[in-house]
Amino acid sequence: MSSTSTRSQPRVSFASLTPNNLGTVRKLNSVLFPIKYSEKFYSDIIQPELEDFCKLVYYNDVPVGTICCRLETIGEETKLYLMTMGVLAPYRSRGLGSQSLQEIITAAAARLKPKITSIYLHVQVSNTDAKKFYEKHGFKEVSVQENYYKKLIPHDAWILERAILSEEKEKSGK
Amino acid sequence: MPPSGIPPKRVLPSKESTLFKELLNLYESRQLKKGLKTADQILKKFPEHGETICMKGLVLTHMGRREEGVELVRKGVRLDLTSHICWHVFGLIQKGEKNYEEALKSYTQALRFDKENLNILRDTAHLQTQLRLYDGLVDTRHTLLRLRPNLRQNWIGLAVAYHLNGSLQETKRVLEHYEATLKNIPDYDIEHSEVLLYHVRVLEDLGEFQEALNLLDVNAKSRAIIDRTAIMEFRARLLSKLKSDDAEHAWQALIQQNPDCYQYYKGFFSNNGLDLDHPTEETRTETLKLLKEFASQHSRAAAPRRLALDVATGEEFKELVEPYIWSALDKGIPSLFADVKALYRDTSKKQVIETYVESVKEELSGSTPSSSSAPPTTYLWTLYYLAQHYSHISNHHKALQLLDVALAHTPTLPELYMLKARVLKRLGDPFGAAKAMDEARVLDLQDRFLNTKCGKYRLRAGLEEEAQELLGLFTKKDASSPGADLEDMQSLLFLTEDANSHRRNGNIGLALKKYHAVQKVFREIEDDQFDFHGYCLRRFTLNVYMDMVTWEDNLRQDPAYVQSAIAASQIYVQLRDDPALLAKLSTVQLTDAEKKAKKKAKKAAQKVQDDSKKGVNQSAHEDKGLEPTPSKDDDPTGIKLIQAEDRLEQAAKFLAPLSTLAKDNIDAWIATYDVAVRRSKYLQAVKALTRAQALDSENAELHVRLVHFRKTISSLPQQPAEPVGPVLASSLSKLIPEDVSLETYNSQFLQKHSTSDKAMLAAAKVLHILGSPISEIESTVFGVFNPEVPSHVTVSLDILSFLKEVNSSRAEEFRKACDSKFELSTLFKSAEELAELRKHSFAVVEAEEDKEEVVV
Repeated sequence: MSSTSTRSQPRVSFASLTPNNLGTVRKLNSVLFPIKYSEKFYSDIIQPELEDFCKLVYYNDVPVGTICCRLETIGEETKLYLMTMGVLAPYRSRGLGSQSLQEIITAAAARLKPKITSIYLHVQVSNTDAKKFYEKHGFKEVSVQENYYKKLIPHDAWILERAILSEEKEKSGK
Repeated sequence: MPPSGIPPKRVLPSKESTLFKELLNLYESRQLKKGLKTADQILKKFPEHGETICMKGLVLTHMGRREEGVELVRKGVRLDLTSHICWHVFGLIQKGEKNYEEALKSYTQALRFDKENLNILRDTAHLQTQLRLYDGLVDTRHTLLRLRPNLRQNWIGLAVAYHLNGSLQETKRVLEHYEATLKNIPDYDIEHSEVLLYHVRVLEDLGEFQEALNLLDVNAKSRAIIDRTAIMEFRARLLSKLKSDDAEHAWQALIQQNPDCYQYYKGFFSNNGLDLDHPTEETRTETLKLLKEFASQHSRAAAPRRLALDVATGEEFKELVEPYIWSALDKGIPSLFADVKALYRDTSKKQVIETYVESVKEELSGSTPSSSSAPPTTYLWTLYYLAQHYSHISNHHKALQLLDVALAHTPTLPELYMLKARVLKRLGDPFGAAKAMDEARVLDLQDRFLNTKCGKYRLRAGLEEEAQELLGLFTKKDASSPGADLEDMQSLLFLTEDANSHRRNGNIGLALKKYHAVQKVFREIEDDQFDFHGYCLRRFTLNVYMDMVTWEDNLRQDPAYVQSAIAASQIYVQLRDDPALLAKLSTVQLTDAEKKAKKKAKKAAQKVQDDSKKGVNQSAHEDKGLEPTPSKDDDPTGIKLIQAEDRLEQAAKFLAPLSTLAKDNIDAWIATYDVAVRRSKYLQAVKALTRAQALDSENAELHVRLVHFRKTISSLPQQPAEPVGPVLASSLSKLIPEDVSLETYNSQFLQKHSTSDKAMLAAAKVLHILGSPISEIESTVFGVFNPEVPSHVTVSLDILSFLKEVNSSRAEEFRKACDSKFELSTLFKSAEELAELRKHSFAVVEAEEDKEEVVV
């Protein structure tokens, strides 16, 4: 039938978060995650210094996913903590997650003040698919944090981490 | 020794005479403070000098001391009735007040005493144009040209005056003379180019196509006409009218230039004897062949493809429409439905589209997600399309189901919520609709369209305060209220919706106020054209100017005006018919909404006062112009409008423009009848009914009026005298058969329309007019619950308010029956339920209260 004839290439793009499109982030979070995020979460992710690390993901101009990080500085070292990443079910397996992650990592590599040494995150220990996804992108399991989730079962979470390389290396791909 | 003819009281000694000249100069250069001093200097010695008093008044008016200034001008005129300066000043003041009729009278007086004053003549011409007094305009323009034939403008002014007065031949003659006088025109002179194009248009309007074409070609070649697009368009049109062989090529060149301009295709095809709008069996094949050629030449143009859908039928239509729709779904074009909706007039086309889009949905819904399958957005837009499709054909339930599927698929697309809002609105749930629209809005707060839509939906749900909050996000922050700013900005959307909302909520004072505001907006638009009568001539933009004048003459065709005029007249009629209502509204405690309105108006007035105080301090000597500053609102609740004695005259004023500008609108004629018959203007009433009957003789509301009219006329204590009486009688007998009793007439009407809810309401209204027992009225309208009667939310709502109006004891029973019948509608809820529903008309920020984990 005709649907197999002409087809345009899907467009994937990213948008920075603003107070105005926060409603879309809220809507996505409410269907993607079993967690209610606090008002502080939403006020943090629109801070200007996080603009490169908190994004809405658009597929053919429709917002279908979100990725949000925060910066954590301990002593001399600054790390990027990946708080949330998710794509609506019908849009999965199309490389959107990989592209989003790559977007953030490239941005992290380009950041010089402060320099970002690594990116890390929590994954619930039951979620092996997620773990595999991050490992494919160079993340390594560094430890297990017990009782990370208070109400979800299982309570434990893996901590996965990946170093951020120089800008050229990150841009040229893994 | 003063020159003869000048009255001695005007003559000043040489010192004061010099001062007076200085005063005129100071005024011209707007040195107001100095001007005032100079005037006072003269007045010290000659306190009765009319011209000086007038000038002082004019200066004061400019300085913002309006009342004082106008008073002086009046006094000055009285003191010197034969001075052109006095009358000129008086005219200026009236012009500033937009009182063009009176201003013209003053200018005419001024001209009596100074026949050749160029300034006065020019202003007079503008006033005559504004007032459409074209005979006088031609005279004035003649005088101006005679006095200053070397000014280009004066030639053009006369040409345009003849044109407006309908003497195109004269226009042509003047233009020819004018062009012959021109010497040394610089190259690429836009003004000259515009005049030549105007000349071509005049010749075209005269039907002198060959002459027009010659003029166009010669001047296009010499580069005197520099608007290339205009040249091509004029050429193509003229060649077509001349049936020249070159016409086809000219149209093709235009299509080449802009392959998405429908007008060019229309021109091309009509030149080939093919009517795009009404294809026949003979022309269809040829038309389609040509459209396909255009489509292949312009692969990115939508117009030839879309036009082909209008023309094609049967199998060919199917073959064309499928790739058209597919490509739009795949690209994610939100307006696809709006684009193809017009094809639905042909039910077979509608069916083909439905079948096809359903099959696309079928195919896409089964596919498992993978990078190779169609993009998920294509499926999403398919669901969106189908939901619009089913809502359009009144299958709202199916539309809602589809939207649920789409929202589960992608909950972040505002279009889905907007459509849901619209479907709920159509189902009669304004609160759910407002909420859905709000859900769309919170997805993207900076989207003005969503914001405005949401404001409108809140007004539809009667949430006036909450609507203003939203609309206020995009209005001026220093305005006294969002509503006031929207009124200043002439937002017809806001004014009409706000008025309708107040009317539905029973605040008819506020409703009337807003309808008057709509009327004012149109008056302002009309007034605003004044400056263009001078400006366009100076700029020589004559073609657009002529289009503008025509447009202004048809201004009140606008649906916002038509609807407001009818609604306002209905309120006035209601007040006239129901003195109890009037009494209630006048004495009753103010409702909350009215209290709020009053408080707000008070605040606003205070603000205006504060601002003007500030203004006085800052710029006491600044030029404030001649337009009066808006006076403060002395009727915040509209109670004065309700109580005004001249309500039927006001209603007639609202409706007057409709008799020419909305002559195909049956509701306008019915409203005109309602007002005319109550003003005892029976000829006007019978004319309105005759016009309405010619438009739709079976209209239910017309039926009510016909009975009402015959009853009114027959119960007059005395039949109208000659010549009205006989005309009335003969017109009436044409409207409604004389040999049938009104009771029989009514039951015949009901029988004829036994499955129409509107007819039942009309028949019930007639029974009420004829004084039938209430039980009969009730059983008539309860007929709508007969399962064979397709009933409508809006009509049922009208029936409910009619039952309340006639104090039926079964009104509540009717309401409850409707409430269970229109399951998804909220319009028939009880007052308590409605109050509760109002609270749930807003998007909930996060509904997932029951989530297990809360991350802090």
